[in-house]
Amino acid sequence: MKKVSTISAFIYTGISALAAGLFLLGTLGGEYTPVERIGGAVWVFLLSMIILMPVVTSAVKKRVKA
Amino acid sequence: MASKKASLTIGGMTCASCVSHVEKTLKEVRGVQRVVVNLATGKASVDYDPAQATLEAMKKAVDEIGYEVVLSAANLNVTGMTCASCVEHVQKAVSELPGVTKAVVNLATNSARVEYEPSITSLAEIKKAIEEVGYEATEQVEGQEALDREKEARQREVRRQLINLIISGTLGMAVMLGMLQPYWFFPSFVPAWLNNKVVLFFLTTPIVFGPGRQFFINSWNGLRRGLTDMNLLYATGIGAAYGIAVVNTFWPDAGFGGKEATFYEAAALLTAFIILGRYLEAVTKGRTSEAIRRLMKLQPKKARVIRDGQELEIPAEEVQIDDLLLVRPGEAIPVDGRVEEGYSSVDQSMITGESLPVEKKAGDEVIGGTINKTGAFKFRATRVGKDTALAQIIKLVEDAQTTKAPIQKIADKVAGHFILGVHALALVTFLFWFFVGFDLWFTPESRLLLTPYQLTAIGAFGLALIISITVLVISCPCAVGLATPSAIMAGSGKGAEYGILFKGADAMEGTARLDVVIFDKTGTLTKGEPSVTDVLTAGELSPDEVLHLAAVAEKNSEHPLGEAIVRGATERALKLEDAQSFSAIPGQGVEAQLNGRTILLGNRRLMAERKVELDGLLLDAERLENEGKTAMFVAVNGKPAGIVAVADTLKETSAQAVEELHRLGLKVAMITGDNRRTAEAIAKKVGIDRVLAEVLPEDKASEVKKLQAEGFKVAMVGDGVNDAPALAQADVGIAIGSGTDVAKETGHVILVKDDLMDVVAALQISRQTLRLIKQNLLWAFGYNTLAIPLGMGVLYPFFAQVVSPELAALLMATSSLSVTLNTLRMRGFVPAVRRQQRQEASEQLQAAAA
Repeated sequence: MKKVSTISAFIYTGISALAAGLFLLGTLGGEYTPVERIGGAVWVFLLSMIILMPVVTSAVKKRVKA
Repeated sequence: MASKKASLTIGGMTCASCVSHVEKTLKEVRGVQRVVVNLATGKASVDYDPAQATLEAMKKAVDEIGYEVVLSAANLNVTGMTCASCVEHVQKAVSELPGVTKAVVNLATNSARVEYEPSITSLAEIKKAIEEVGYEATEQVEGQEALDREKEARQREVRRQLINLIISGTLGMAVMLGMLQPYWFFPSFVPAWLNNKVVLFFLTTPIVFGPGRQFFINSWNGLRRGLTDMNLLYATGIGAAYGIAVVNTFWPDAGFGGKEATFYEAAALLTAFIILGRYLEAVTKGRTSEAIRRLMKLQPKKARVIRDGQELEIPAEEVQIDDLLLVRPGEAIPVDGRVEEGYSSVDQSMITGESLPVEKKAGDEVIGGTINKTGAFKFRATRVGKDTALAQIIKLVEDAQTTKAPIQKIADKVAGHFILGVHALALVTFLFWFFVGFDLWFTPESRLLLTPYQLTAIGAFGLALIISITVLVISCPCAVGLATPSAIMAGSGKGAEYGILFKGADAMEGTARLDVVIFDKTGTLTKGEPSVTDVLTAGELSPDEVLHLAAVAEKNSEHPLGEAIVRGATERALKLEDAQSFSAIPGQGVEAQLNGRTILLGNRRLMAERKVELDGLLLDAERLENEGKTAMFVAVNGKPAGIVAVADTLKETSAQAVEELHRLGLKVAMITGDNRRTAEAIAKKVGIDRVLAEVLPEDKASEVKKLQAEGFKVAMVGDGVNDAPALAQADVGIAIGSGTDVAKETGHVILVKDDLMDVVAALQISRQTLRLIKQNLLWAFGYNTLAIPLGMGVLYPFFAQVVSPELAALLMATSSLSVTLNTLRMRGFVPAVRRQQRQEASEQLQAAAA
């Protein structure tokens, strides 16, 4: 069970960080303040974590069981 | 992995060979290492590898060879569930436990029914699993104690949310006045200091971390286990609104829109409106289960027992079978029993739905919980505690309320992915407004809908964040989750009020979707008390001799027609000696030997098989059958002797019930073992359109199957004992006239009274329930389909206005509440047929009084 949580946490945190990073990259093309960039990246990271957590955890659980 | 041990209870084992079958089968299950089955205890001790063998696999293997793994069932009260996602979480947490085979969680009743193997997973572990995902689980208790505990828990929740509402409402109003201070006429009476951002910070913080704390704690508990629910939507919404306001208050140059974008009222009112919704829901949710509460309240607390000639008042639960009890006028009858002495009339409406009081004299049965009206009487207790009719009815209705209707599957599917879907939409919305929308449509005149605020100083991040939060808050999975179970609860309770007991939500939905109703003839459409009407002779025997022979042949028969012949002979003072031999020929008649004579009594098929020539009797038989009578041929030593005709009388309400069913658009059929001509004559009298005649008792189920094969949804109405296979085969089996022993009945719907109008009432209640479910689902889905795009800012390009998070919270709370309020309409619902009967009864009472 612990193995499932660790693997899942690694995956969803990684993907969320990637999404936040992509967002930051995207802001480079426009005129945004640093706060908008950081605030936006944090919000994207947060929402991505919320979306991915249950999806990834259940997928990993299934894999480990199989 | 280490092996585990389970001790399974096996049902159906009778001998040593059963033991070896079960052992062999269990050993064949992958992962099972050792099996020892004990016939005396009925237990199988199994050592298994939990990584390979599951309880499901073991159960399936045992079931397949004709035995049964008997599992324990527990009913739990689960508190803290607020939406369909919570249901999913609890269901998932429990279902994933190794010894659990089934878990049904109901939001409307805040309950869970779990089937499990205690040797693998204990009840404590099940409760722990529920608590770990952030809810509280306690074992359900029954009867009055359950009522008290449930009421207490509900009142506690109502009180908690009321306190939260008072705090958040009062402070929220102050915050709103402070925010509005510079606008319209507010400067004239709101002091300027109330608009100070630091003051607003100190007013809003207690709301967010006081009443709003529950959302953060609950969503964190879920998130830790990878679960998302409604609380998360609120927490992200409130948290983000509050966070931005704080940043803009203390670091106005941070780039979040500055002091003009400190939307403290968004965080404050968002919390207040969500709590308002929770409070109203806690108040109204209990009302949907009022019917069952009313039934529970019927259970009398005291009983007057006569022991050793002394009258004692004792608690009703201490009454024992065979106790003699005394009931005075106006008192409630404490338990079920049989009247021994006295005469009275009893109001049974609360159990059977009968509108008029029923007279009771020595020998009559009385039902616990009903009210004695006129005289005093003594009765002997026959059923007490959990066995009383009232206790059985409560159990049945409670069980029905924990089941799920097929229509709920769509709602469950949607609700299961709803929260994630909304978060995904919020993310997409944020990205769209940040990168595209802001540049395309933003104007400094932008406003929050229905507020005076301009969003002049807001940047791309601020606008995108507000719209994204609004999406989270405006969506309402609660309405989707409550739509079906709350209506089922109200509908099953309403049925119980009229003595109509639906065994499950599927039975209720099935009843609402029926196309054809088949009535069994004898005892259902008719009174089941036939009598001899004609005796015709064919040879030298007199009518009395023919009847005598027929009665001797039927003397040992338990068939209602046979009993009628015996009764007819007895009434004519004919002496009935015992036949030397007797055999029943199912679906045809009987054969008996008397003093060297072979007597045959039965239908044409029997006579044809025995090659008895009926030529002279056929015309008479046809005439009798055309009159709706059952003509039975009598033959002696292979020669025709005569006809005995028997007829049953129709119940008073049969024709009216058939007419009402036609009015509801249903086809009505009748099934009987009678010959076609008799059956058709009876069918014509009541207006039935399809006759299934000459059907052997064992073939009734296959006749039902044939109708189903034609694409009809079929209900079979009959008595729950003789017609059990046909009732089971039908889409909806309706057992009529069960009386007070409802637990023994087969069938999906049980009618306590022997009144066919209750079939119509059952249809009207189930249709109304299904109508409510559809309305609720339409509202729930319709609201979300319209509100979410509104929250996403579809109006902004045209009007430069966005929905504020607090307005979104108000809309969300209203949506959830409207579903519950719509369901509450069921409280005032009276089936049309019952309305008519009530009117007639009150007219009768008035006439009697005059």
